[in-house]
Amino acid sequence: MSRSRRLQRMSSASSSSSSSTSPERGADDDNDSFMLQANDSQSSLGMDMSPEQSQTEVMRREYEERCRVSPVHRLPAEILISIFARLTSPRDLQMCMLVSKEWARNSVGLLWHRPAMNKWDSIHSVVQSIRAAKKFFAYQELVKRLNMSTLAGQVSDGTLMGMTECKRIERLTLTNCCKLTDLSLQPLVDGNRSLLALDVTGLDQLTDRTMITVADNCLRLQGLNVTGCKKLTDASIVAIARNCRHLKRLKFNNCVQLTDVSILTVATHCTHLLEIDLYGLQNLESPSITALLTSCPHLREMRLAHCSRINDSAFLDIPNDPELPVTFDSLRILDLTDCGELGDKGVEKIIQSCPRLRNLILAKCRQITDRAVFAITKLGKNLHYIHLGHCARISDLSVEALAKACNRIRYIDLACCSNLTDNSVMKLAGLPKLKRIGLVKCAGITDRSIYSLAVGEVKNGRKVNGVSVLERVHLSYCTLLTLDGIHILLNNCPKLTHLSLTGVQAFLRDELLAFCREAPPEFNEHQRDVFCVFSGTGVARLRDFLNEQKAHQAANMTPSVQSESGSIDVDIDDNNPDSDGSNTPVVNVNVHGNYPHGHTPIIPGPSSAVGFQSVVPPNHGHGSGGAPSNLSQSAPATTGGAVWAGGGTPVVLQHGGGAQHVTGMMGAATILDEVEGDEAFGEGSEIMGD
Amino acid sequence: MASEGEQTVKLVSSDNVEIVTERKVAERSMLIKNMIEDLGAPGEEPIPIMNVSEAVLRKVLEWCTHHKNDPAPSQDDDADSRKKTTDIEDWDQKFMQVDQEMLFEIILAANYMDIKALLDVGCKTVANMIKGKSPEEIRKTFNIQNDFTPEEEDQIRRENEWAEDR
Repeated sequence: MSRSRRLQRMSSASSSSSSSTSPERGADDDNDSFMLQANDSQSSLGMDMSPEQSQTEVMRREYEERCRVSPVHRLPAEILISIFARLTSPRDLQMCMLVSKEWARNSVGLLWHRPAMNKWDSIHSVVQSIRAAKKFFAYQELVKRLNMSTLAGQVSDGTLMGMTECKRIERLTLTNCCKLTDLSLQPLVDGNRSLLALDVTGLDQLTDRTMITVADNCLRLQGLNVTGCKKLTDASIVAIARNCRHLKRLKFNNCVQLTDVSILTVATHCTHLLEIDLYGLQNLESPSITALLTSCPHLREMRLAHCSRINDSAFLDIPNDPELPVTFDSLRILDLTDCGELGDKGVEKIIQSCPRLRNLILAKCRQITDRAVFAITKLGKNLHYIHLGHCARISDLSVEALAKACNRIRYIDLACCSNLTDNSVMKLAGLPKLKRIGLVKCAGITDRSIYSLAVGEVKNGRKVNGVSVLERVHLSYCTLLTLDGIHILLNNCPKLTHLSLTGVQAFLRDELLAFCREAPPEFNEHQRDVFCVFSGTGVARLRDFLNEQKAHQAANMTPSVQSESGSIDVDIDDNNPDSDGSNTPVVNVNVHGNYPHGHTPIIPGPSSAVGFQSVVPPNHGHGSGGAPSNLSQSAPATTGGAVWAGGGTPVVLQHGGGAQHVTGMMGAATILDEVEGDEAFGEGSEIMGD
Repeated sequence: MASEGEQTVKLVSSDNVEIVTERKVAERSMLIKNMIEDLGAPGEEPIPIMNVSEAVLRKVLEWCTHHKNDPAPSQDDDADSRKKTTDIEDWDQKFMQVDQEMLFEIILAANYMDIKALLDVGCKTVANMIKGKSPEEIRKTFNIQNDFTPEEEDQIRRENEWAEDR
């Protein structure tokens, strides 16, 4: 359209020349009166003029003169506005308003777009300007966003009533303004045809009266969050679903009165839906879910946590045509936390119908077994986030298959899956993008799991992946864990910011608890006694403390003693009978890092002084010397540290920033930084989901 | 056949001066790019840039030449965050060190020729000239006449005082 206009203009007007060197803008591009006059006058240049023409000419000259004196006059309104839009400080906009009438006209809309509502003084002043009988601008028309959530619980109906005249609000955010009632909110939304998003989370006194007014007026509504509005019933939600056809995002969390009547109406009318959260709607039955899935093809996110009546039929009842299988390719996030009726058949149908799921939350779906997890493996690379906490029936068999098939998992939670052993964790440790792993109360796991998490996947004696990307590790109540395992984890996972070890006896020591976070205030005495969570800088301080301690210990021992008894070497090998041998991680861990003469210790981490601890994948004769490794699965656990003979290439496990130091008492040592960079799966190539 | 990069196009300024430039340079302007696509046979027909004088057009093309290899802005380029910053890269900052007349004409030309990145730099430059100044200092900077009565100025100040300490 605009292109064809341009062409038209180009062919018709290219010969006319302006007396001005200024780039006069085409008449169809602008609505600024000065410019129009300037353009209109062009054709009359240099001719005899009628009085009317000469008057136009006078105006043109005046305009040109003004622009000569003050070139900024050449800028039309839309460009002035886009300049003002770069001024982030309201103070600057306020100054612009006082420059001239033209500048005031073009900055007032930006200033009032989202008036300050974070202090009582500001609110008072805003309301006063809006309610003033005589004012310079119709400020009430300019308010597009209103957010009272900063003052939340202090905001009363009296405050909000001051804004009743603002009928063009597009985004109204009243999160946790729990004192507000229909008294102020109903008149505010009455007559508003512009509202796009309404967030009334926590306004538990709100009733259908306000919501029916929304349904009658706000036909453009796209987002509605009524979390915790317990008084709302099907009557108003049905009205909203019928009238507001553009709804895209709905949150009905804990609106406990809502039933299938609401959700079936939503499914019928709101076919543009992208996200819906029905957390805690205990009345909901399966047919509502079937209806949402089948009639909202764009649905991207569906959260059904604690909808306890939902069962397999929600998914099994999806029409099934073997010729033309129905799939919901848009669905990325499905939360079924505590949908206790759900079983393996339901999960199998979910995976079949929603092949592109990225986040799947099945926590507390206690009935599901390995069969469901085997179905989940079919999501393959699409799966990034999986929560199977309290799915206590699942076993190593399916979790190992999951780790193998879905190698882009970034987040996995297996809390209370008490059948799981080190075999599961050792497979999961190979996930190159794993950022968060939850193993709370997986009581069977031992330090072997922790060593694998520290080193990641090891292939032919070399670390496959670069520096660990692990950030959050939850190990509370994994009672077999020891200090040494965690020490190695700390020194190999530079990005670690959260480590929970509540109830792990080895850590309930005062000198370590010094770095632990405060227990939440609601915890009782027993809970406080066992609480042990390191987060943020606490993780780094714990790491430093353990490093110092070990250094101290090492310094106090003579090498001969150490090699006899001081060092603890751990060989980890994959005992999985299924292993074909090519992918067998062999990790030799010398916890104290005391090496026989001539042997080169490899120091991971930002360890400050001495090499008391290393994780050394076996030398495999890479390079010139080709000396065979003496570290094999069969190496006894007490033969001492890693042996670097000939031209073997040691692998350095290096933390960002930390220089590697090699203990002086071991003599000069060569550290070759051979770690594959993390380019292989560069961060940022994919955005971490949620 | 020449590749697109080596092709040239003829542009004609508002004061009827013909300027030959690399097609790739000229196509930083969406106006020109669309015209070339509509007309076909680039390089033969001169393309009139009606609203831009020779001096300004040359300046704009200087910018386009420097930025000819910039990646095209992606669709979902976070428009908001880009809008909010007034950081300008060094070369652009130097490029924009011109008198106000030229500065605003570059902005108008960028707007007319649909060169978003240049319009962006221009607007940021002007915004930086405004930042932190009092109304009187702004008026002085741009030679703007104060057309408010003292009463009106007072009223505006009062009605917008909430913005003072946000």
